[in-house]
Amino acid sequence: MIDNVALHARSADTTGATHSGRDALLRVENLSIRFDGAPPDVNVVDDVTLSVAKGKTLCLVGESGCGKSVTALSLMGLLPTPPARIVGGSAYFGGKDLFRMSEREKADMRGNQTAMIFQEPMTSLNPVFTVGDQIVEGILRHRKVSKSEARERALEMLRRVRIPAPEKRMQAYPHEMSGGMRQRIMIAMALANGPELLIADEPTTALDVTIQAQIISLIRQLQDESGMAMILITHDLGVVAEIADEVAVMYAGKIVEAGSVDKIFMDPQHPYTIGLMGSVPSIGRRQGKLATIRGTVPPAELMPKGCRFMPRCPFADVRCVTDPPPLAEITPGHSARCWYAPLEIHRGGVA
Amino acid sequence: MSETTSDVILESIDLVKHFGSSGFFGPPTVVHAVDGVSLTIRRGETFAIVGESGCGKSTLGRLLLRLIEPTQGDVLYEGRSILSLDAAEMRRLRRDLQIIFQDPFASLNPRMNVGDIISEPLWLHGLGSKSDRREQTAELLRTVGLLPAHADRYPHEFSGGQRQRIGIARALAGNPKLIIGDEPVSALDVSIQAQIVNLLEDLKERYGLTLVVVAHDLAVIRHMSDRVAVMYLGEIVELSSTDDLFENPLHPYTQALLTAIPIPNPQGRRPKPLLQGDVPSPTAPPSGCRFHTRCPHARSICKENHPVAENAGGGRMVACHFWREIQNAGSGALSAPAQSPALTKRMELYMTWRERQEQTKNSNG
Ligand SMILES: Nc1ncnc2c1ncn2[C@@H]1O[C@H](COP(=O)(O)OP(=O)(O)OP(=O)(O)O)[C@@H](O)[C@H]1O
Ligand SMILES: Nc1ncnc2c1ncn2[C@@H]1O[C@H](COP(=O)(O)OP(=O)(O)OP(=O)(O)O)[C@@H](O)[C@H]1O
Ligand code: SF4
Ligand SMILES: [Mg+2]
Ligand SMILES: [Mg+2]
Repeated sequence: MIDNVALHARSADTTGATHSGRDALLRVENLSIRFDGAPPDVNVVDDVTLSVAKGKTLCLVGESGCGKSVTALSLMGLLPTPPARIVGGSAYFGGKDLFRMSEREKADMRGNQTAMIFQEPMTSLNPVFTVGDQIVEGILRHRKVSKSEARERALEMLRRVRIPAPEKRMQAYPHEMSGGMRQRIMIAMALANGPELLIADEPTTALDVTIQAQIISLIRQLQDESGMAMILITHDLGVVAEIADEVAVMYAGKIVEAGSVDKIFMDPQHPYTIGLMGSVPSIGRRQGKLATIRGTVPPAELMPKGCRFMPRCPFADVRCVTDPPPLAEITPGHSARCWYAPLEIHRGGVA
Repeated sequence: MSETTSDVILESIDLVKHFGSSGFFGPPTVVHAVDGVSLTIRRGETFAIVGESGCGKSTLGRLLLRLIEPTQGDVLYEGRSILSLDAAEMRRLRRDLQIIFQDPFASLNPRMNVGDIISEPLWLHGLGSKSDRREQTAELLRTVGLLPAHADRYPHEFSGGQRQRIGIARALAGNPKLIIGDEPVSALDVSIQAQIVNLLEDLKERYGLTLVVVAHDLAVIRHMSDRVAVMYLGEIVELSSTDDLFENPLHPYTQALLTAIPIPNPQGRRPKPLLQGDVPSPTAPPSGCRFHTRCPHARSICKENHPVAENAGGGRMVACHFWREIQNAGSGALSAPAQSPALTKRMELYMTWRERQEQTKNSNG
C-alpha cells in the first residue's frame, strides 16, 4: 500500500557548513594520486580537497574515468599500491590520519567505522560463499556477538534493503541473484555495523526507481538516527538533487566546481557543469537529439598544461591553454575552477 | 497483434524459465524467473524492458538470445525457431544477435587485452585481415569515447564506465542486426550517456539496427525507445508505445514506477509515496494478480483471479482487473520543476559560444 509519510524529504541544506571543513568528520586535503607508468606530471587524482560532516551527504559527480572511484578507494586504504601511489595530500577521519595507519588499523576500521559500497558488486562478493555467510562474517569480525545474533542482524539488514524471502536468500550464492539483488547485498553488508562514514560508489545503478527510492529513504533514516556521514558517487543527477547537501564536480582528476546542492543545480558556474546539466534527458516528451559536451577527455600524454577542460570548452582562449585556473570562491561556499567564472561577467557580451 | 511477419525480427512465445535449487536446507525451491512472456520485436525499433529489480529482465534477455535454454516456450528469429538450430547455425546467428551484459567487469575476460576482447567477434567469424581488425578496433574505441591506445590495456586498468564502453564496442564489432543492451549506459555519466545514446540512434538510422534495452533510468527510456514492456515478477503487466505509457500509465505498478522517478532539481524535493507491502518472492509468487500484495487498488478478485492481458487500444496491452477505473491514478507526477533562470541564461551563453567556436573552426579549416 502507499504510505505518504515514509520518505521524509529533507529540504536542501544551504548553509554550506560542511564545505568549510571545520567540524568535518572526514577531511581530505590536496590529495594527489598517480599510476606507475603514466606521464610524470599527470596525476589521475590531482589536488582534491573535500570534507564531509556528521550526518551530511557529499555527492561526487563527474565524467566517467575522472578519478571518483580511485579517490574513494584511497580513502578506504584499498588502492593497490603499486601501481597506484599517493603522491601528495592528507586525509583525516575523526582526527586520525588515514594515510599513516598500519594495515591492521585500516582493517579494523573498514567495515566498522567506515564502510564502502563498491561500484561493481561481483568484484567484491565471494562467489564460493553464500551471501548470508558473507554478511554474518562481516558482523562477527567487528562485533562481540553470538553467531545467532549476527544471523539475526544479517536477516534484519536483508529485510531492510527489501530482499524478498530473506531467510531463503541467505543461502543463495551471488551468481543466483539478479544484478540489483547483489547490489542490495553489498548495501546490507556495508550498513550492518552502523558505520560513521559510508562511501557509496554508484550504489543504485542496478535498482529500479521504486527500490532506489526505498534505499535512499533507508540511508536517510540511518543518517538521522545515527549521524552517519556519506560520500555518494553517482552520475544520476536526480539522486543527487534528492539527497545531497554538498556536491563536488570532478573532471579529469580535479575538482572543477563545489558547493551546496542548490548552487550546483540552480547556479552552475563551471562550463563542464553547465554542459553536464544540459545532457540530462528530460522525463517529458522527446525534444530531438540529446545535447552533449563535444569531444572526449584527452589521453594523459596530451593533457593540456592549462585548464584540463580547455579542448572541449566553448569559452576557452589562450590563457586557458597555458595557465591552470585555481579553484576560486565565487560566493561563500561555492567555488569553480575556471578563469572566466562568473561567465556573464567575463563572457557575457557576445563580442 | 496485427504485425505482418516481415516486420517482426524477434518473437518470444510463452517463454518460461524456472531455476531450481538443490534444497539442502529443506524442500527444493523453484524460482519463477520468467513466466509466460510473449512479445514481438519489430525490425528497426527500440524496445525497452523495465521492471523491478529481480523481476526477470536479464533472464528474458538471455533467453531471447538462447544464452540459456528456456524451461518452456519458443523464440523465433526471422520467423525461425532458434531452439532447433544446431551448433554451427547457432554460431552464425551469434553474429547477428549481440548482447551488452549488465555487469561489465564480470563479462570481460581479465586475461585478454581490450583490443582482443573487442575484436573477438571479428576473428570468431573470420571477418577481415589482422590489420583490418586492428583498424576496426581502433575505430570502435574512438566511437565509444575511448582511445586506440587503450587496446593494449587490460580490463582492471579501466574505470567502471570505461569498462561498460568496452562491452558496447564489442557488441558493435560484428555489425549485428539486433543488440540486447542490459543496462548498457547505467555506469556512464550523463554526457557520455548522451553520446552513446546518440551513437546507437545513428546506427539504427544507418543500418536499421534493432535494439532491445533493459534499463532503470526512465528518462533514458523515454528518450530513446519506441515501445516499452513493464515486467513484474516474471510477467509482462503492461506493453505500450513510449509516449502513451508515460502520459497515461495504466497498470498500478507502472504508475508506482513513474511516481518514484527522482527529479534532477533540488527544489523539487518532496515526500514521495513509497510502494509498501512485502516484496513477494519469485519462489512463491502470489496467487491471482502477482501485484495484489502491494497494489493500492486491489480488491478481493485480485487475490483469486490472474488478470489476463487485455487489449487497451492503440497497440497497448495491460494485465489488471481494474485498469479502466484507475487510469490517471499515477499521472501528473512527471511535471519536472522548471529550470532556474540562472541555468537557462548560462545554457544560452554556452550554446552561443559553442556555435561561435564552431564557425571559427570552420572558417579556419
Ligand atoms: N589499475 C589501474 N592502472 C592504470 N590506470 C588505472 C587503474 N585503475 C584506474 N585507472 C585509471 O584511472 C582513472 C580514474 O579511474 P576511476 O575508476 O577513479 O574513474 P571513475 O571516476 O570512478 O569513473 P566511472 O564513473 O567510469 O566509474 C581512469 O582513467 C582509469 O583508466
Ligand atoms: N542462475 C540462477 N540460479 C538461480 N536463480 C537465478 C539465477 N539467475 C537468476 N535467478 C533468479 O531469477 C530471478 C530473476 O533474475 P534476473 O537477473 O532476470 O532479474 P532482473 O530483472 O535482471 O533484475 P535486476 O534489475 O536486479 O538486474 C531472480 O529472483 C534471481 O535471483
Ligand atoms: S578555464 Fe577556460 S577552458 Fe577551462 S572551463 Fe574555464 S573557460 Fe573553459
Ligand atoms: Mg568509478
Ligand atoms: Mg538484470
